[in-house]
Amino acid sequence: MMYKLDITRLDDFLSAISTGRDVFALEESAGQYHLTRADSWQPGRHTLGAFRQVEPLKTLVFRPREFLGEIGRSRPEAVMPERIVIGVKNCDLSALKIHDHVFLNTEPADPLYREAREKTIIISCDCSAAREVCFCPAVGEQPYPKAGFDINISPTEHGYLVEAGSARGRQLLEKAGKFLAAADDALLKERDRNRRELTRKVCAQAEQNGLACGADLRRAVEKSQGGKIWDDFALDCVECGACNLICCTCHCFLLADGESKNKAFARVKQWDACLYKNFAAVAGGANPRRHRAERLYNRFEKKFSFFPEILGIYACDGCGRCVEACTGKIDIRKVLGRAVHEL
Amino acid sequence: MSCNPYMPVPAILEKVIQETSNIKTFLVRPAKPLVFKAGQFVELTVPGTGEAPFTPSSSPAESEKIELTIMRVGKVTEKLHALKPGAELAVRGPLGQPYPLAKYHGKEILIVGGGVGLAPLRALLFALLEEVDKYKKIIVRYGARTPADIVYRKAVEESWGRKDLDVMITVDKSDADWKGNEGVVTTILGPKKLTCNPGEGVAVVCGPPIMMKFATLEILKLGYAPENIYLSMEKNMSCGIGKCGHCRLGPYYACKDGPVFTYDRVKNLNKIWD
Ligand SMILES: Cc1cc2nc3c(=O)[nH]c(=O)nc-3n(C[C@H](O)[C@H](O)[C@H](O)COP(=O)(O)OP(=O)(O)OC[C@H]3O[C@@H](n4cnc5c(N)ncnc54)[C@H](O)[C@@H]3O)c2cc1C
Ligand code: SF4
Ligand code: SF4
Ligand code: SF4
Ligand code: FES
Repeated sequence: MMYKLDITRLDDFLSAISTGRDVFALEESAGQYHLTRADSWQPGRHTLGAFRQVEPLKTLVFRPREFLGEIGRSRPEAVMPERIVIGVKNCDLSALKIHDHVFLNTEPADPLYREAREKTIIISCDCSAAREVCFCPAVGEQPYPKAGFDINISPTEHGYLVEAGSARGRQLLEKAGKFLAAADDALLKERDRNRRELTRKVCAQAEQNGLACGADLRRAVEKSQGGKIWDDFALDCVECGACNLICCTCHCFLLADGESKNKAFARVKQWDACLYKNFAAVAGGANPRRHRAERLYNRFEKKFSFFPEILGIYACDGCGRCVEACTGKIDIRKVLGRAVHEL
Repeated sequence: MSCNPYMPVPAILEKVIQETSNIKTFLVRPAKPLVFKAGQFVELTVPGTGEAPFTPSSSPAESEKIELTIMRVGKVTEKLHALKPGAELAVRGPLGQPYPLAKYHGKEILIVGGGVGLAPLRALLFALLEEVDKYKKIIVRYGARTPADIVYRKAVEESWGRKDLDVMITVDKSDADWKGNEGVVTTILGPKKLTCNPGEGVAVVCGPPIMMKFATLEILKLGYAPENIYLSMEKNMSCGIGKCGHCRLGPYYACKDGPVFTYDRVKNLNKIWD
């Protein structure tokens, strides 16, 4: 069931569905969006956003550093409040397929991830513009969500098109029923036109930056193994790990031990980065990825060969965050483009 | 959070046995019995320092206490080697896939170990000897750097007389008292030192990477099929349960899909010996 929400009622609608929950929503600043936390939806301060925010969505469900407990004692049962995140874009949403696979659908499940995931209601929305670095259609995605949301909102000139994607989303829409009307065909057509146009635009933009849509990236990356391409790009890599940490699909972490505030021995789970030299090193000095070029290739292999093999999808959704974050100005579109070109 | 798979169960260090100058066997009693099968490993925590993966060297029939034979090489193992009986540890496991013993029934088993790599093979040997009638023959070929580096030396020497075992040891560099073979482990895999039936047998290899590589090549030359050669892939590991990404080996996570792999599954992957 598709609903129409009047343009003037967006704030009322979002306030209604988010009351009583922690709200994570976007705030605009200098042409970028940031994900911030508040007690409620705040008209004027919050926005749905035209494209994805700077911070990857994963920070809400797979946090940079999570306290696991003290060794030999059970972890105090800290109850996470229910939260609602508003304005999620499709790149971030599809990234959760990777995290769900790793942390939820592969035994044993990660209890921290499961709790965060269950407690997080996702209100996504179509992109109405793209950042210059966006390339989602080149990796088989598109700038609007198809699944994985509780509620999706598609902005159009004549109103918002609202749809539920889960039982939880349907319940929320029932509660806020007074703001909604049945959507008409014209609105649906307008949404589809917007979607097609933006997809075409992002596709053209990816192409201008060296990466054509529809290429077989798996084959290109697998074929490029050991090639000069990796030595060339690795010349600019300073091993800062930013590409891994900012990436909305990267899921690697390290269990680290130390002393807790109570002076007890404790363990944390914290993000790790495969570009760091010792990521795969073993005691005694052996390291299967001793050279930077091998580590750079490894990142692409994981995203474009390993995940297609085990899950059938790329572990890159084209958000372009790594393009903006890379200290060495390595552009993933150019890397993939060259691998495709050299096929 | 009682079932947090990242958190270990407390354990007490009961006994320490000095095996060689840098290898000790640690007898550990976990607060809850730890039931494992040969080939599976555990993550052992030195509280406050960290954890590292080790394969128990004791019999899988024993779950109240496990033995771990550990070489001193770095941060966690240094701390461990300095501990005295009574020290508090913690342990997580069992992790990974065991040797598929049911598939070995009726066959000849060739076990090839190097250095501290004999530790996991000892657990396997215990499991095999529990039901020794089920196997056609058990052959052990082990290499150490010097006679002083042989782990479980007493037990190994005693086993020389056993009828149901064909054991041979070599050292890279002998001393005045050494009466056995001198040379790297591949020198006791040749036809003069080894009578085996590759067509009917499986080979199980564990040791330092370089030894694994040359032993495997030799075993292939003997005529063992790649799918009958079982290798322990000791990659960098953190979580041990297929989540942290550290141990990825081609399309596998070595911790969850291994650590034991048949050679045919890994032979085409990049850098398996590093
Ligand atoms: C499945 C498995 C079974 C093993 N069984 C045994 C055994 O029975 N006896 C034994 O002595 N050793 C065994 N090892 C090797 C042992 O795990 C390493 O010696 C140990 O991790 C070294 O830790 P450290 O902190 O002392 O060394 P450091 O040099 O301080 O640290 C080594 C670094 O490598 C990491 N690391 C992670 N995995 C490994 C690995 N596999 N090998 C080396 N370093 C690793 C450590 O976390 C750390 O980051 C096994 C390894 C694996 C994967
Ligand atoms: S990558 Fe695609 S989905 Fe993500 S913000 Fe850009 S256009 Fe939107
Ligand atoms: S690899 Fe780059 S573009 Fe792809 S999902 Fe990660 S940060 Fe986004
Ligand atoms: S962000 Fe760029 S420079 Fe930093 S590790 Fe990644 S590729 Fe290298
Ligand atoms: S050790 Fe974490 S995935 Fe294997």
